[in-house]
Amino acid sequence: MSLRLVVLALAAFLTVPTVVVIAVSFNPTAILSFPPAGFSLRWYVNVLTYPQFQRAALNTVLVTAWAVALALPIGTLAALALERARLRGRNLWAAALLSPLVVPGVAAGLGFLILASSLGLLRSRSVLIAAHVALVLPFVVRSVWVSVKNLDPALERAAASLGATPWRVFRRVTLPLLRPGLFAGALFAVVVSVNEFVVSLFISTRVTEILPVAMFTYVVNYTDPTIAALSTLFILATFLAVWVADRYLGLGRVFLQH
Amino acid sequence: MKFLLTPAVVVLAVFAAALGALFRWSLLEFIPGSLRPGGLTLANFRSVLAPQYLDTVWETVLLSAATTLLTLVLSYPVAYALARTPSRRARSALLVLTLAPFFTGAIVRTYAWVLVLGNAVVTWPLPMLFTERGVLVGLVHFSMPSMILVLAAALSHIDPAYERAAASLGARPARVFWRVTLPLSMPGIVSGGLIVFAWTLSAFATPELLGGGKVKMIANVVKDLGLDSFNWPGAAAFAMVALALTLALLAGLGRLTAGRAA
Amino acid sequence: MRARVLTGTLVALLIVPLLASAASAQNALVVSIWGGNWKDTVEKVVAKPFTAKTGIPVEFEVGGTIDRLAKARVAKGSPLVDLNFTTTHVARLYISDGLYEKLDMAKIPNSKEIAREAFRSEYHLGSWAYVYTVVYRPDLVKEEIAKWADLWNPALKGKIAMPDFDPSHIITIAALMEGGNEVNWQKGEGKLKQLKSSIAAFYSTDAQSQDLMKTGQAPVQVMLSVNAYHLQEQGIRVKVVQPRDYPGIVGIDTMAVMAGTKKADAALQFINLALSKEIQSELVKALRAGPVNTGASVPQSLAGQPGIFVTPAQWKERGYIMNDEVRAKNLPAWREWFTANIVKK
Repeated sequence: MSLRLVVLALAAFLTVPTVVVIAVSFNPTAILSFPPAGFSLRWYVNVLTYPQFQRAALNTVLVTAWAVALALPIGTLAALALERARLRGRNLWAAALLSPLVVPGVAAGLGFLILASSLGLLRSRSVLIAAHVALVLPFVVRSVWVSVKNLDPALERAAASLGATPWRVFRRVTLPLLRPGLFAGALFAVVVSVNEFVVSLFISTRVTEILPVAMFTYVVNYTDPTIAALSTLFILATFLAVWVADRYLGLGRVFLQH
Repeated sequence: MKFLLTPAVVVLAVFAAALGALFRWSLLEFIPGSLRPGGLTLANFRSVLAPQYLDTVWETVLLSAATTLLTLVLSYPVAYALARTPSRRARSALLVLTLAPFFTGAIVRTYAWVLVLGNAVVTWPLPMLFTERGVLVGLVHFSMPSMILVLAAALSHIDPAYERAAASLGARPARVFWRVTLPLSMPGIVSGGLIVFAWTLSAFATPELLGGGKVKMIANVVKDLGLDSFNWPGAAAFAMVALALTLALLAGLGRLTAGRAA
Repeated sequence: MRARVLTGTLVALLIVPLLASAASAQNALVVSIWGGNWKDTVEKVVAKPFTAKTGIPVEFEVGGTIDRLAKARVAKGSPLVDLNFTTTHVARLYISDGLYEKLDMAKIPNSKEIAREAFRSEYHLGSWAYVYTVVYRPDLVKEEIAKWADLWNPALKGKIAMPDFDPSHIITIAALMEGGNEVNWQKGEGKLKQLKSSIAAFYSTDAQSQDLMKTGQAPVQVMLSVNAYHLQEQGIRVKVVQPRDYPGIVGIDTMAVMAGTKKADAALQFINLALSKEIQSELVKALRAGPVNTGASVPQSLAGQPGIFVTPAQWKERGYIMNDEVRAKNLPAWREWFTANIVKK
């Protein structure tokens, strides 16, 4: 059927850039040619030995770890409150918690820069982490909220009636039951934070910059395929993550209704 | 129970403080060469109305509209296949293809287009890199995964019984599509279109790398003013414009969806 | 058990990178310079021997000429960088903003070996020289380009690119062609407007210029000689023109110490090393630029090529040197006029 051809063509459109990047990353010379004129790993070596990338990778791990470590508990508590507390204007609260998604990246980035400068925190990492927490929180809240909605309060009541303290109920009953939402929230949080670029561009310095910002600086200053190599590594990592998530979570179920 | 919201409120307060700082500085005077602003003034917003900046705003709106339309047209077939294909493997494959670029981040995806559009693969008949059509291609490519997912979700909610009924009454497949499927998927089209339009209005990396300094959208001007000229008040005014446009869009079209749902 | 592993990993992710990054940054000398092959060359030729000799690590802050000036203005008083590379006329802007500190020549003994022309002021010394000239790809452009005036050839419509951040070169050439110079540059305004339709693109960075040349989108450019030779090294055949009508515009890059830096001594040592005969000879070979040290050797194969001056005396003989102060004073007006009349569609 012609639909199949159209879909195939569009799928090709979606994947052509990825294919080109991977192919170019093995090009032996600095001239970007396709198909590649040979095979070389020199750009991968460059990626792994470039000090600014090494530092940026460390920063990415640091910032993302802190952002997720903070956003998960904060988001979980918020999700529980959204679902179970007696709230006037629950929808308003939900909208407020999801609002960072709506703000343009440059607006948030510049706003954080100005705020940091007024507080004398321009060169510190804390502003970067705070911004990441704010950007990542909506994803955590949304994911955990879905799990909370599916939580049967009867189970928790049963545990409490058997003599468990509220904290124990939370730790032994609630949290384990929230695991799918927590896992999805953590996954989204990691992916969003690792790839966060625009806001981080505004508030990073050479010392604190994360990987996407370092890559951007490189692309603007150099014309060799090093970024193709780094991009390929990125693509491989995310393909792996997506495949694992599909296997473990059944992503199809998360996004489609069947 | 309500107190469980407190930590989240703190985070939101920090975010609000950042936006507040932005708003405040958009109304302060720019003193060249220094980071300290002057007094209250509307000069920054007045400079947004200057012809070259107004051009940028207009071009951004046009480019976003073009991106949304093109993305819609190109995403629909893929979304349809994703929602309707009986083969589980085909669906998994399409899903992975659609989701994976979603997760690799703006720089990687835009850089890939710098390579393709820069005659590394094909020599284009017309210059593509550093032109508006190149930026359009990059924006569409970036928006397709989101649009595909939203449309696929909407399509999967449509009971195939409707389509079967129409077919059984003698309608040919094309007619079934135009008269049944498409209208029923309208909520998905509207919300997908909204998401893509809103995102594209504030696009940064794609025009920055593919535009080569010649094609500028609102976000690029904010960065130029803010990080290159250090004109924070001017940049803030522009950023407020971007924020206002996005909010207006969401409010306006949100009301449209509410109307349709009712 | 699993919870413990998870918490352990989390703690590791949270703390270890913090410790790792804190250790390295503190005592490095931070050098502000252009990115790409400029940073790579200085890193390899100067920074490496510097670190080997003094034990002080060197880090680089890269960016464009005007971007780094803007950043320096904002950080005035507590600079983020210690040593600054820039062009000799933009250095005047740094000086007038009080961003440099006077050089202690006693700590730069090698300065005795550099030519008089390289002493740009009490604040900045020349490091190397080059020319801005016409560079083109003979495989894509069949017309012969041997002089500046050839840029106005209608056959070159839509093929030219030039920098948008510093238009001094083309403005001066246009003025010279109309019997003026950089002081009464308005004489060349009409000539420049004639060129407008031939321009395909403007580049804001060296990388963009190289991209435009590599992809063939702008096969004729007003380009820095060093960048042209860098393209040749990467395998792109370009011809660097020694124009017959007016010479190439000389560019001199300079080094200076940022006012308020805590590493002034290390910076002065770095400058001293960069001016030494051996390092200058290496810079000539690596960059394909002209040295400032009169004792530096320029290989026979390179001498005589545009921008590769054998001695600073040749700067005046074989190039057009603009007065630093005039150039610095006119730069903002030039940028504004150029952006409004030539860059804007």
